[in-house]
Amino acid sequence: MQEVNGRFEDNKLLITLSGRIDSNNSHQAEAEIKQLIQDKTAVPIVIDAENLEYISSAGLRILLHLKKTNPDLKIINVKTDVYDILEMTGFTEMMTVEKAYRVISVEGCEEIGRGANGTIYRIDDDNIVKTFHDANALEEIRHEREVARAALVLGIPTAISYDVVKVGDSYGSVFELLNARSFSKILSDEPDKLDWCVHEYVELLKKIHGTVVTDGQFPDQRDTAIKWAQFMQDYLPEETGRKLLKLVEDVPQDNHMIHGDYHTKNLQLQGDEVLLIDMDTLAIGHPIFELGSMYNAFIGFSELDHSVVQGFQGFDYETSTKFWHKVLAAYLGTKIEDRIREVEDKARIIGYTRLIRRSIRRDGLNDPERKKEIDHWTKELIELVAKTDTLLFAGNELEVDAKSENLPQVISFIEERMDEAGFTPKAITVVTLAAEEIFVNIASYAYEHGSGEGKAKIRVEITGDPVTAVITFIDQGVPFDPMAKEDPDVSLPAEERTVGGLGIFMTKKLVDDMSYEYKDGENILKLVKKLS
Amino acid sequence: MNYPKKIDLHIHTTVSDGTDTPGELLEKVREAGISLFSVTDHDAVKASTIIPDLLKEGDPEFVCGAEFSCKDEDGKYHILGYDYDPSSDTILGLVDLGHTYRMNKVKARLDFLRDRFGFWFSDEDLEKLLARDNPGKPHIANLMVKYGYTETKEIAILEYINQLHFHMEYVRPKEAIEGILGAGGIPVLAHPCYGSGDQLIIGQEMEERLKKLIGMGLQGVEAFYSGFTAKLQNEMLDLAKKYDLYVTAGSDYHGRNKMIELGDNNLDTVDDYPEEMKRFLDELKRRQKC
Repeated sequence: MQEVNGRFEDNKLLITLSGRIDSNNSHQAEAEIKQLIQDKTAVPIVIDAENLEYISSAGLRILLHLKKTNPDLKIINVKTDVYDILEMTGFTEMMTVEKAYRVISVEGCEEIGRGANGTIYRIDDDNIVKTFHDANALEEIRHEREVARAALVLGIPTAISYDVVKVGDSYGSVFELLNARSFSKILSDEPDKLDWCVHEYVELLKKIHGTVVTDGQFPDQRDTAIKWAQFMQDYLPEETGRKLLKLVEDVPQDNHMIHGDYHTKNLQLQGDEVLLIDMDTLAIGHPIFELGSMYNAFIGFSELDHSVVQGFQGFDYETSTKFWHKVLAAYLGTKIEDRIREVEDKARIIGYTRLIRRSIRRDGLNDPERKKEIDHWTKELIELVAKTDTLLFAGNELEVDAKSENLPQVISFIEERMDEAGFTPKAITVVTLAAEEIFVNIASYAYEHGSGEGKAKIRVEITGDPVTAVITFIDQGVPFDPMAKEDPDVSLPAEERTVGGLGIFMTKKLVDDMSYEYKDGENILKLVKKLS
Repeated sequence: MNYPKKIDLHIHTTVSDGTDTPGELLEKVREAGISLFSVTDHDAVKASTIIPDLLKEGDPEFVCGAEFSCKDEDGKYHILGYDYDPSSDTILGLVDLGHTYRMNKVKARLDFLRDRFGFWFSDEDLEKLLARDNPGKPHIANLMVKYGYTETKEIAILEYINQLHFHMEYVRPKEAIEGILGAGGIPVLAHPCYGSGDQLIIGQEMEERLKKLIGMGLQGVEAFYSGFTAKLQNEMLDLAKKYDLYVTAGSDYHGRNKMIELGDNNLDTVDDYPEEMKRFLDELKRRQKC
């Protein structure tokens, strides 16, 4: 017996075929299909063959005739036996035929991550599956696969799914992750690895934020945040709402990558390699949007109920706040509490906006416990918005074209970072004199003929006890160790040699330490200046 | 030489299980812009005697045809016959033979249904049934539904009619091929990869089958067929070349309720007709001139 059913879904006619289709019933099946289609020949047809046990050539011919009037005909969920017939007869070459998905159960599996769109379980030692909550799972799986592949090509270490499986009513994608451990698990099991985790976590975060995405498959997080802010208009005092929207809109567009759900469950240590997973939230945008979601993961969700983070990450609220604070300090390259707090406040604006919207949309206003949370977040948000004029913050890194006209920008960047750290004007002047010498050297000599076709990166890190500023200059020009010789290049005309003024030996005397290395195609020059 | 662009050499009418009368069909062939066609009803040549009288000046070229169901120890076959003499004793003998076997089969089924399940039909209905050119399982099933013996045709066939397993007399492929040849016609294997319609015969099995039929006098294969994929079509074209067979093209159009369109036979997938097809068309032309 066969059964033919049809329904419209997303402007497609979905026809389900069940049982056997052979010469005994092919006439009836054909007539029923014809009845379903009627005059709607322009509608794309998808045949769901999940329950189709067998199809004879009489049935195959129906598919072929259907394909002729509906060139986009697609057959999905095809069982292996039926797939073999379709393959043998050349049908798989003529139309889209998708095999049925392997069915797996995640019952009793360890949950290793839970995001906005899906949950990740470990199936066995070598494999994890990410299940999607949404009805649109297959589309999301496809999206994640695409963006993850793009990220991998751009140098972000991640796992790419190798299979799609059916999990309950939805679908999941399977990844190979050999004996990997999440950072959450490492932090819970081995608290002494905290600093190591912070370091690795921040290194990868910086790598992500330093990656430029040029093709259009990554959504723009700014657009998303604007939608959040628009939603909030009805739930905030008018002035706060307006200012919040303006703050978000004033964040410039940015084509650097952000992960979107960057917390410790999504970092996996496999061997000695750190892998990023859960890539479906990958986007482009200013790092403040990333910091906002990170704040939520470590603190925002648990602000009133500290047990939330324990349940989610497996470590306690105290560890979570400590980790977040250290991460932010390392990410900003500063120990200055005021500066860390300033950026944290900006992140909280994004974080609360998202939390409040999320809770309201989940009917939180009608649940006394959650209403309390919403009120708390709203109160904080109103205060933060009132005292904030921009969501932008200076990172501890500045990248400019290696041209001498950018010198003032470089100098003021260093001045600001050192000033925040409490250095005296004299100390700052000394360092900027040295920086001028180095930057002008790069601008003049690093890239061929001094054409300024390359970039120079300047990083200011404020570390340790006693407070110390480490200023690093990085360029990808010709290998050149300015400390090897007094004069950079004696073959050059005198007027070029004098650019910059002080000379490298003088520079060296002004700072506490100076070092050079050439690594991975980069000249890396470090200046160290102690506060006292 | 110019060959006709749109061809359909495999069409059914109400003479067998199609839904268009020969007259209605001719009208559709005209509308479809087909310039060469044949009507190939199952085990019947009636349409080939009706259509020539309906043809007018400027109408598409017509070749008389038929499709014979045959069976032997190795399986079932549908063998097309083209351009035979419809008044020849051999072709009429073949039609009669098929008809007799079919009538015997229908009568055996009706007896079985009456004796085993007590399904009776009025004399008038039985007469109507047996007076059809090609009565078969679906027609009996229709009657059973009409009498309320079963709810659907499908149940009637699967659960009642098919309960009768009997050794039936069949026209043998050798008889069909010889009958067609005897009437001056060209025997061609219909939809080769699908056997008599619902098998799947490919690769070595197909080649063995073809060799046997060639030994009996088969001259061509229907390599262009509406229900073939590119893969099956290419397999048949290769075999036609290898065994020096004619190639023909047909849709198997049955009218309503089937999604097959008149003139659909995938001929449009090739830029130029293969030599084996051109030779067949040349042969038809040559015969016309005689």
